[in-house]
Amino acid sequence: MLLITLKRTFLSGFQHFKRNGWLSFAVTSILSLTLLIISTLIVLSLAANLVIRNVQDKVDISVYFKSDTPESKILDFRSTVLQYKEVKSSEYVSKNQAFDDFKEKNADNPVILQSLDAIGDNPLNASVNIKAITPDKYDIIATAIQNSAFKDDIIRINYAKNKLVIERLNNILSMTRRVGITLAALFSLIAILITFNAVRITIYAHRQEIEIMRLVGASDRYIRLPFIFEGITYGAISAIFVMFLLFPLIRFAVPHITGAVSVKDVQSDFIHYFWLIFLVQLLVGVGLGIVSSLIAIRRYLKI
Amino acid sequence: MIEFRNVKKIYSAGINTIALDDVNFVIEKEEFVSLVGHSGAGKSTLLKLLYAEEKPTSGQIFFNGEDITQLTPKELPLHRRRIGTIFQDFKLLPRKTLFENVAFALEVSDHSDAEIQELVPQILEIVGLAHKMECYPREISGGEQQRVAIARALVHRPPLIIADEPTGNLDPISSWGIIQLLLKINKLGTTILLATHNKDIVNRVKRRVITLDQGKIIRDHSKGRYAI
Ligand SMILES: Nc1ncnc2c1ncn2[C@@H]1O[C@H](COP(=O)(O)OP(=O)(O)OP(=O)(O)O)[C@@H](O)[C@H]1O
Ligand SMILES: [Mg+2]
Repeated sequence: MLLITLKRTFLSGFQHFKRNGWLSFAVTSILSLTLLIISTLIVLSLAANLVIRNVQDKVDISVYFKSDTPESKILDFRSTVLQYKEVKSSEYVSKNQAFDDFKEKNADNPVILQSLDAIGDNPLNASVNIKAITPDKYDIIATAIQNSAFKDDIIRINYAKNKLVIERLNNILSMTRRVGITLAALFSLIAILITFNAVRITIYAHRQEIEIMRLVGASDRYIRLPFIFEGITYGAISAIFVMFLLFPLIRFAVPHITGAVSVKDVQSDFIHYFWLIFLVQLLVGVGLGIVSSLIAIRRYLKI
Repeated sequence: MIEFRNVKKIYSAGINTIALDDVNFVIEKEEFVSLVGHSGAGKSTLLKLLYAEEKPTSGQIFFNGEDITQLTPKELPLHRRRIGTIFQDFKLLPRKTLFENVAFALEVSDHSDAEIQELVPQILEIVGLAHKMECYPREISGGEQQRVAIARALVHRPPLIIADEPTGNLDPISSWGIIQLLLKINKLGTTILLATHNKDIVNRVKRRVITLDQGKIIRDHSKGRYAI
């Protein structure tokens, strides 16, 4: 395709955009709204993933052993567990270490420290902390441990603590996704309808020009391309506009949504994904524009 | 250059209209041919077949030996670039200047900007409107508008000019001016096919006249007169 054809058809497509005035404004608004919904969906997913990642890091199974269990046996247990394919890591916490940790944690609580002194002996049990590769594996691991050869040495398996939190988060996330995707699809449809109508009106306004173009021997491509470029312009300008909108929005909205996670993390995640998000916007915006133009051209541009 | 062979055109919109019925003729290079006939005789239809706006129901149409009824959609624009078309209603774009209106025909056929800058003023000079290049169509007279339309049809130097009632809306003096312009272009080597009602013009031109009546050629004289 000749470069000059591209240049000329692009310029006249852009001119359509400029001359359509309020219509272009309406089209850009609805396209921007659609893109905003889609990018909010992306940003929310990113933020939620971050929260889940954070919480997940804190989740583990703690297996407590009876006081008289020899250390060698516990270490044996630790390496056995490590062989499970669901297990990411397992860490041995000895009686003494547990005691130190406990004292440190309660350093500013003299009552507890005093009562520890009163007991004189270390009342804590040795334990092994196990992390699974994914949170849904904890059930399997717990069951496996309960049925293992070590079951008689174990007093307690503690894991249900954080499980609920993660499940809830996952539920919220998948709900948000479902609602978001439905909304995005709905708005995409509306955006296509409006963009399609704008291009249809442009085609109608240029019917005389189109007729003359055909008479003087313009190729089909030359006649159609300006309307495609018009659609592309709507999409591209909307994408750029939304990126400008998204930055401050994230700055102000994210702290309210995520709470637990540091805002900096989300923002740096966003900056990290800036080009990716922009690319998605651009692709979606331009895609919607092209689809709308193609429908309008198919139905109203008789060559 | 042009040959119509047993060309028949039936429009079937609602009722069937036989617009052209077994039309046969040959036009050589550099001829100046007038096509005359009553309203509805099929003049415009014949021209439309030539620039492939319509397809004949049967028969063949040759342009430089090539059957243009068999053109693919890709070849069609290339065929049309070999023909300059002029209409009764000028078909100028109101929002473009005279320069832009003429340049339009070059833009769509991928001429460079440099070529456009050179050719457009040249052709506007030929039709005598170089000084009004930056005007809009509404700012000039009907006769001048028609000359711009001729400039647009000429600017890419097609070997054939088709004119469908180019003088229909003009007073006799402007009309004769347009015809003189066409005669001049013809002298420079461009074939001209002119469809018209205008009896005076046909009689003054004294060139070949093809007369159509109800879709049939009833007369074809080389130094013809308007006689129906
Ligand atoms: N698109 C069309 N659909 C159906 N019938 C048509 C169409 N175009 C022309 N006709 C019919 O074909 C016949 C020839 O029409 P055409 O336009 O060729 O006549 P013409 O000689 O150019 O007439 P005029 O001098 O009035 O311009 C007429 O009867 C007309 O009604
Ligand atoms: Mg006619």
